[in-house]
Amino acid sequence: MERLRFSTLDSAGLLLRLFGILARLTVTAEQEGENLSGLSTNPDKDIFVVRENGTTCLMVEFAVRFTVPFDVLAINGIDLITENAYLALPRGADIEGKCGSQDADIHISWKDKAYTLRINFVKETRDKGDEVWKMSKLQFVYDTSEKTHFINPYNPGKHTASSHGLSALVTPAGRSYVCEAKQTLTLISSDHQKGVTVAMSDIQIQPFDINSDFMFSEAYKCITDQREQLEETLPLILGFILGLIIVITLSVYHFHLKLTAVTQPQLPRDRSMYKNM
Amino acid sequence: MAHLIRSKFQNKLSNAATSMSNKSTAKVSGMMARMGFQAATDEEGLGFAACDDLDYDHRQGLQMDIMKSDEMEGGVGAGEDGMAAGDSHYQRDGTGPPPSGSKASGLGEEEKSPKITAWEAGWNVTNAIQGMFVLGLPYAILHGGYLGLFLIIFAAVVCCYTGKILIACLYEEDEDGQLVRVRDTYVDIANACCQPRFPSLGGHIVNVAQIIELVMTCILYVVVSGNLMYNSFPTLPISQKSWAIVATAALLPCAFLKNLKSVSKFSLLCTIAHFVINILVIAYCLSRARYWAWDKVKFYIDVKKFPISIGIIVFSYTSQIFLPSLEGNMQKPSDFHCMMNWTHIAACVLKGLFALVAYLTWADATKEVITDNLPSTIRAVVNLFLVSKALLSYPLPFFAAVEVLEKSFFNEQERTWFPSCYGGDGRLKAWGLTLRCSLVVFTLLMAIYVPHFALLMGLTGSLTGAGLCFLLPSLFHLKLLWRKLLWHHVFFDVAIFVIGGICAISGFIHSMEGLIEAYKYGIED
Repeated sequence: MERLRFSTLDSAGLLLRLFGILARLTVTAEQEGENLSGLSTNPDKDIFVVRENGTTCLMVEFAVRFTVPFDVLAINGIDLITENAYLALPRGADIEGKCGSQDADIHISWKDKAYTLRINFVKETRDKGDEVWKMSKLQFVYDTSEKTHFINPYNPGKHTASSHGLSALVTPAGRSYVCEAKQTLTLISSDHQKGVTVAMSDIQIQPFDINSDFMFSEAYKCITDQREQLEETLPLILGFILGLIIVITLSVYHFHLKLTAVTQPQLPRDRSMYKNM
Repeated sequence: MAHLIRSKFQNKLSNAATSMSNKSTAKVSGMMARMGFQAATDEEGLGFAACDDLDYDHRQGLQMDIMKSDEMEGGVGAGEDGMAAGDSHYQRDGTGPPPSGSKASGLGEEEKSPKITAWEAGWNVTNAIQGMFVLGLPYAILHGGYLGLFLIIFAAVVCCYTGKILIACLYEEDEDGQLVRVRDTYVDIANACCQPRFPSLGGHIVNVAQIIELVMTCILYVVVSGNLMYNSFPTLPISQKSWAIVATAALLPCAFLKNLKSVSKFSLLCTIAHFVINILVIAYCLSRARYWAWDKVKFYIDVKKFPISIGIIVFSYTSQIFLPSLEGNMQKPSDFHCMMNWTHIAACVLKGLFALVAYLTWADATKEVITDNLPSTIRAVVNLFLVSKALLSYPLPFFAAVEVLEKSFFNEQERTWFPSCYGGDGRLKAWGLTLRCSLVVFTLLMAIYVPHFALLMGLTGSLTGAGLCFLLPSLFHLKLLWRKLLWHHVFFDVAIFVIGGICAISGFIHSMEGLIEAYKYGIED
């Protein structure tokens, strides 16, 4: 598998063409992985694409943060303390991937393969005959001897954290999965069964049935986003009802006053107000 | 012979002494007069008060004539006195209006608002001083130890004293030595103090401070109810804004409030809800009395976090804004001092007990709002009562705000910009009701759209709250009544002024710091 690397300038130019006209890139190999640092506002968000036969077959756009626990030797030299390393998936990572009709996967690696994130997707048919696709496996390989994030690790080495029995991001087939809210998954590491937390946000993923080059199909919103939409429209509806209640109350009161008005005998003006003159 | 000479000598001495003391008091009087302190009683005010009494009697007589001519009843005595709503009734200290014999039902005039009893005034004051901030008191004890407890008691004493001196500013002594109520509102007191040079500047300042304080309190209650409901039902897709709108819909009937008596009913219910909350939490804490950490109550203070707690403790006793109108509407104003004492004692005891007991139960794990420490079943019930307490506390500041606004802007007699909100028969006009509803909606909009409202409230509270509760009463008391003040009263007033100033400045600085930090890091409320 060959990989093509683009510098930032080229990527920007590439993205402009992408959003302007549908352009076909020249094929130099059977498969190409491309990473395009987009013009998104989220600095951690990036889009990773697997192309086959001159067209995109898998697109993953998200922002990922990892919390990796690792052991550090205590001051007394005997005890082990667990520290947390906080990493983010950087822009411009290397991509490998494979597409298929029922299976697809993407491998994102950076820092000279010190870190690799592997995501597997499968497509299946549910009971009622609907086809859905989902994320079936998530694996994160990390090397604790990497200096920038792991400080004074005890027994540095490469570890793999995998998911078990994962069934996430379930989406009807032919649609892309969109979720702005943060989703957190915990992977069990080979390093003493420690829990590695993967937090994904601003997600838009489509691993199958991409019709046009670099174009996501119809979006399917996750439940949190749907609730947020409901949460946003509800105040407007309630505000409108409140305004209606106020208007009705005021008009009823106005007519009540008109109907029950009684003429009063005029009393002399109150002279106690003279002091205010 | 000898005793004659001695007595003459003594007379000369005593004469000399009295003349000297007279000269010195004259000097002091002159000096104080030059500094602007009142050199004489407010004769003008006394005169007007006497005029008003005569006028009142005259109109009583007129009413009797009208009644006799209209209905030919043999009724004796005065009917309901027909003053327009918003008119002030000057009364001698200790006596109410002349007892009414026959009813004035024929005239159908209900313009005068009914007087409230001392109990009802007590419920109102309790509503004001036992507010939502009681939930933050255990946290204050966490950071302040015994000093926090001491502050709770001290603040109650100081605020009770400032309330009493504020009401004392409303009265003047006339020639007979009797106290006559010549001023009616806080604004009147401020105007009287600035009398020679700026006749209305003080009134404007106090007006603005009052309106800000009252409206911010109303907005706070809406924010708090929205927040509590949102935290009680996290699974529902209703956000905090939607809950605030629902709460405002429930508060809309407040626009129909006519007088303090109906407000007092709400305050009574609010006090009951508050007692239930206190009893629930204290009972739960007592059930865990075995685990109390008596040794955790500290003597030293956490210097970074305690000043905020000082603000919470000290400014939670602020009821001075409501006192002039409460006292003016009491059936027996002589009960006022007794009512103030008892409400502040009750508040002090309950708050101290609550704070201490809750802190002993959770010690270092005490959270900023004590309901976060409670187990979920009790927390749900307490939250429900807290929401009802917030909603029931709203009518008092709302009614006070409406009164202040109507008096300043919608008063025919004082030639303000707009005509009166009340029609000839004393009923609220339709557009007056519109204004009240728009005030309710305004509080809702501010609750929804202003971010970090609690911090903003801390900022304005430390200025307007401290001003209206500590600085201004002591200042006005010194200025208006200094001739009658004993030296320890002067000392108390000056001390309260200084302490109030320190609290205000410290509260202001910390609120500004908190606000700046919140905006910098974009912390969500």
